[in-house]
Amino acid sequence: MSNKYQITIGIECHVQLATKTKLFSEVDNDARGKAPNTCVSPVDYALPGMLPRLNRTAIEMAIKVGHALNATINPLSRFDRKHYYYPDLPKGYQISQLYQPIIGAGQIELPDGTKVRIEHAHLEEDAGKLTHFGDYSLVDLNRAGTPLIEIVSMPDIHSAKHAHDYCKELWRIMTYAGVCHGDLYHGNMRFDVNISLALPDAEKLGTRAEIKNLNSFRSVERAVEYEYQRQSALLDRGERVVQETRGWSDDTGKTTSQRSKEEAQDYRYMPEPDIPPIRLSNETIAKIQATLPLMPADYRARFAGVIPADTLEILLDYPQLIRKLGEFADLLGENSPKSIQKIANIFTSVLLAEENTSLLNDPLPSAEQLRDLALMNDNQELSSTATKEVFLKFFDPEMHFKDTKTIAKELGVIQENDLDALGQIVDQVLQDPTTQQAQADFRAGQEKVLGFLVGQVMKASRGKANPSSAQALLRQKLQN
Amino acid sequence: MKISREEILHLSNLSNFSLSEEEITSLGADLENIITYISQLDELDTTGVEPTYQVFEMENVWREDEILPQEADREALLALAPEALDYQIKVPKVL
Repeated sequence: MSNKYQITIGIECHVQLATKTKLFSEVDNDARGKAPNTCVSPVDYALPGMLPRLNRTAIEMAIKVGHALNATINPLSRFDRKHYYYPDLPKGYQISQLYQPIIGAGQIELPDGTKVRIEHAHLEEDAGKLTHFGDYSLVDLNRAGTPLIEIVSMPDIHSAKHAHDYCKELWRIMTYAGVCHGDLYHGNMRFDVNISLALPDAEKLGTRAEIKNLNSFRSVERAVEYEYQRQSALLDRGERVVQETRGWSDDTGKTTSQRSKEEAQDYRYMPEPDIPPIRLSNETIAKIQATLPLMPADYRARFAGVIPADTLEILLDYPQLIRKLGEFADLLGENSPKSIQKIANIFTSVLLAEENTSLLNDPLPSAEQLRDLALMNDNQELSSTATKEVFLKFFDPEMHFKDTKTIAKELGVIQENDLDALGQIVDQVLQDPTTQQAQADFRAGQEKVLGFLVGQVMKASRGKANPSSAQALLRQKLQN
Repeated sequence: MKISREEILHLSNLSNFSLSEEEITSLGADLENIITYISQLDELDTTGVEPTYQVFEMENVWREDEILPQEADREALLALAPEALDYQIKVPKVL
């Protein structure tokens, strides 16, 4: 990206809430793997006379989301009708919140410290799913009525990377908060990205294009990069950017103008008369917000200066790993940065290695097992290879319930640090006729044969000797 | 209040209705009458009056998040659609 123009980006993010039932009907909200139109009720079908019945859990999740976005919760919120005519919306209107949304202004911080303000966030219902064929389309209403939270950012984002990071951070926040399954492939989170360019000294923002319905962080980043090229080329030629909705194709790597929906922009919002307002006391809000688990930003603050930022960002993609690390750090107290680093490294180097990622679905070792593992490694009872070997056994169904020392013993990988015992093994090696030549060579000044002798000690100890202790002891005995 | 032909067409388009020439004229006249009648309310001074969103003074009407069996099953619901295919509602192609 050149930097002739300043790019300004605002993002609307739709988050599907992981409630058991839909927002306004008592129907299964989890349609994953279910046949079309099996999760529908007369309410979702909009049969005449059907009335919405508000899901209390969706309100509670919205309150949590508000807290996670460092936002205010409005003590009074209401629902409104947004009218448009489309086959995925049987009622002819979507129940949304325009005038008094449940979540007010907030702010999140990206990993590099950039702040993005949240304008507001509101609750609304999802529409059904359309599949297009030759001259007809098919409608599946399983998704119609799924609760959504739409999070609207301020235009505080000024690069493709920050657009990517913002979406990813929202995804982390929603999954940490436990309000969303976070499956992007199945559309659990979808992003609409508004992009405009202007010269850096311009007084107002340029005309924006809106790229609708992106469902991966990478698509968001690529679409922004593409739009920068497209819009800057137009501006360079003295042409205008048209305010319009555009679609993104991952295959072509381009955005294209979608059929203008200018007629449909007249939504004729009106208050929803079927749902009384939501009034929330400070006590109710505080009680629900107290159940919010630690957020990515909390872990960043906690482990700053202990775990390198890039390792930390990798771990943050796996809530179970960073939570286990937090539990481990709680058990150890804050004065053990080395042990925390050690376990963080084992997590990233062993668990995130391609051949082991299936282990991420298994229960993780207990904080106590990890504490003993770090301790045995510190005491040089376990070499770094043995440490990893024991760690992997924590996932073995036959062994995972055993304590670290027992597992290490059964594996026979505890290093011999008993100097008397080591001394005996060294003596035994030095008396062995096959090592006499090497000893003579060492005395004659050939340092490197020491490696061979250490190897013999390791062999005699069946791998349990601590190599650096063995080397020190050999040197001492040979020089006397 | 005058309702233009364009406004009638705009409204019919938003509602996905196709209107005959006669209907455009007659509905236009009807709408004009209705809106003129309702517009009498504009004469009232409503400064400082909170808008009425609903007439029952209820708040926080909600239910627990529990799945309940539905009386109408998929077949019953699909039977109401003009056309169905592969357990889905078949509609003219939209984009």
